[in-house]
Amino acid sequence: MKSWQQGTDMTSDFTNHAANHTANKIVITGTGAICGAGQSPAEMVARLVKGETAVAHIQNWDASSSPCQVAAEVVDYNGGKLLGDRKLLKLVRRSDVFGIYAGEQAIAQAGLNAWRAALPESEALNYADQTGCYVGSGGGAFEVNYDYFPLMAETGGSLSEFGRELPNMVNPMWLLRSLPNNVLCHVSIRNQLKGVNGCITHHTTSGLLAVIEGAWAIREKQADRVISIAHDAPIEPQTVLYLHQVGLLASDALLPFDAQHNGCVLGEGAGAFVLESEASAQERGAVLLGEYLGGGDAVEGESLFDVRADGDGEIRAIKLALKDAGLTPSDIGMIVAHGNGTPGSDESEAVALVNIFGESMPPVTSSKWAIGHLFGASGMVDMTFGLECARQKIVPGIANFTQLAPGCKGLNVSSENREPTSNIVMILARGFAGTNAAVILRANP
Amino acid sequence: MSSARRVAITGIGLVTPAGLDVASTWARLKSAQSCAGPISLFDASGFSTRIAAEVPNSQDLPEIDDRKLMKYASRAHRFAIAAADQAIADAGIRPTTADADRWACSVGAGMMTVAHEEIAMVQAGAARDGEFNPTQLIDVPVAKDVMAFSRSLSTAGAALLLRRFGIRGYASTVHTACASGGQAVGTAMRLIRRGLADRVLTGGFDSMISPVGLSGFCLLSAVSPDNDNPQRASRPFDATRNGFVLGEGAGFLVLEDWQTAVNRGARIYAELAGDGNSLSSYRITDSHPSGDGPIQAMRRAIQDAGATIADFNYLNAHGTSTPMNDRSECAAVNAVFGDGKSNVAVSSTKSVMGHLIAAAGAVEAAVCALAIHEGTMPPNANLQQLDPDCDVNIIRDAPLVRPIHMALSNSLGFGGSNSCLAFRHPELTNEIMAAGY
Repeated sequence: MKSWQQGTDMTSDFTNHAANHTANKIVITGTGAICGAGQSPAEMVARLVKGETAVAHIQNWDASSSPCQVAAEVVDYNGGKLLGDRKLLKLVRRSDVFGIYAGEQAIAQAGLNAWRAALPESEALNYADQTGCYVGSGGGAFEVNYDYFPLMAETGGSLSEFGRELPNMVNPMWLLRSLPNNVLCHVSIRNQLKGVNGCITHHTTSGLLAVIEGAWAIREKQADRVISIAHDAPIEPQTVLYLHQVGLLASDALLPFDAQHNGCVLGEGAGAFVLESEASAQERGAVLLGEYLGGGDAVEGESLFDVRADGDGEIRAIKLALKDAGLTPSDIGMIVAHGNGTPGSDESEAVALVNIFGESMPPVTSSKWAIGHLFGASGMVDMTFGLECARQKIVPGIANFTQLAPGCKGLNVSSENREPTSNIVMILARGFAGTNAAVILRANP
Repeated sequence: MSSARRVAITGIGLVTPAGLDVASTWARLKSAQSCAGPISLFDASGFSTRIAAEVPNSQDLPEIDDRKLMKYASRAHRFAIAAADQAIADAGIRPTTADADRWACSVGAGMMTVAHEEIAMVQAGAARDGEFNPTQLIDVPVAKDVMAFSRSLSTAGAALLLRRFGIRGYASTVHTACASGGQAVGTAMRLIRRGLADRVLTGGFDSMISPVGLSGFCLLSAVSPDNDNPQRASRPFDATRNGFVLGEGAGFLVLEDWQTAVNRGARIYAELAGDGNSLSSYRITDSHPSGDGPIQAMRRAIQDAGATIADFNYLNAHGTSTPMNDRSECAAVNAVFGDGKSNVAVSSTKSVMGHLIAAAGAVEAAVCALAIHEGTMPPNANLQQLDPDCDVNIIRDAPLVRPIHMALSNSLGFGGSNSCLAFRHPELTNEIMAAGY
């Protein structure tokens, strides 16, 4: 039986867990990102280190009567160019383009396709079967349905007319373009991945779950390597209006943990990792960018939207991640917090971090002031950001931070760039339905 | 004692076109009477396909004692809550303050999250000539309705379940098209094996029987156009098959760590013994004619269960009744079972209840557990003329009453995700464990 599996003794909790799987290191050999602040993790870190924000007036649609008119858009978007394939553009949506782009970037950096191309055919087949893909997908957008507006306008509420005119007025590929699992599908076809897979549509924790699930698949030897991707493009008029209605949007700026924080600003994009067993990476002679050490996930099971004020779910997610990694809080050298700029989330997150780290808290930062909240993609982009920061030994300041919110007392944040206290970074994500996840990575120089 | 945690299925809940609970669904599946009929949920008279398998008399579902919560529930969410209520009651256990963080929830959720009427209201208010004008959205009430927003979120179903049962551990929502339910249940099994949870509420829910939902499938010619003979429309493996019949509903299971279930004297339907998962990476809608993709998923499930092909005597096939799926799936069955294929009886219960899309894999996992529990394999309805390319051992017309040692359930999705789950009779599991494995 597999050594990583826990015994049936329920009292042992997770204690024997970490010791068992440190023998099988999971390394990171590729990373990719696209968001308002750049088209790679390095570009993104460079922008944030300089204190530059990507939040600006919304250009992609007429936001003049929207209650919130700013977002961190990917500017000069050219889907065909990002995909390197104009034909594929007919089969996917904006969010998918970001996901495929980030995934291909990570796969290229890891050198996976060059390696596969050099394998004899039988080994190439085994390679495909042993390469998995886990995607966190925004899913459930409104604009996918707007493709039906011309048909609805034409048929004026008559459903029988709607049915008759349907084939004449709607793209026959509509359903396929709308699949939440499109990135999983196209990245696997383009790169001949045949292994274990999943498409997680669990709002903001989707990206962290895509990495956690992928890492477990490698631990369990279901795969030798996994591409983990998350993507989202939530800057839609209807989403903005709803979020304003729920009271989550800031009017002009996202100010994580600041006394003036009053809500969130949306962003868009994608992030990706190539995770591999150490043996697979060594065999390929791959450059090791870092290591996945552990992850944890916990929900609060109370509210549909809000998180608890006492940080309960995030505290438990962090504790699970630390236990999974076999680490203590003092090992963590920097934290990329969720920091979404809403008072409820910021303050409960500060409570959670003070609860775990007390007065010896490592430097804490958040990327959302500059790149907005990418919902389904945010945790994944933050992981690529956190890894790149820790590799460069820098904790970018929250440039628009001026004064700590009274409810965030004890949180170690700054507007200045700082140095991490170790090469281990923790990334946090929280979302609707009281979901909380934490992932811990080690960065190589 | 084995060092690996095994997983017991101790609770089942079903809301399907075949019935509003487990007993009625199971009886209907065994009767081989198709549930397909003319669509009643909306005026489908202009569509190329005007039939579906609807959940009958859904107004007769037990009233949920949480009126506030139900305002945030769509049709598919109502099915999910009803089926989950049944599964929890059936298992006879629910999360308590002491153990709620050791309960997890893993669900497969459908992709159509916005009701047709709400899309139509946005069109009428902000796209009168068909062209969407974002500046007019501010005057459309439904675009400011927080409850409509809540229902539209991909996490909405999970959120309602987490709150209703007070689950506080790992939670995930997945969507890999028609493989969603199978992958959600497979994930749930792994959470217990990994020691991340002791009990998991897992399942799938979907309802695409709406104008936009049906449109997507009509445009692809994926649904059977046999409007004049709905009862015959879903005929997996038949040479004349011409598409699937759209169904709707939910299936939920309570999974438990085996030893915990045994210790509390729970009734164990079956062991959920293996999970196999693969990508076809071939085409977005098709799997390879050779069965490549499903072959790996089935082999992985068998291996993951610590079993061999000789252990299996029932396969609940994906069997959608589309020309492509059934041929490719049968090629996979032939490749995996080879000369042993006559020992594996095969049926697609989609012949009776249609295709429940994101719920299908979870509902069919429940069917496998019931089949093992009762020693009865449900039949494949409507098979008159076997497609020579579907040369597998199909259970025709009447249930096959025979003890099932192990069973497999396939779920193969658009986009190329394949899921296969393996189930074992609990007495067999006890024997294996007594022998020290």
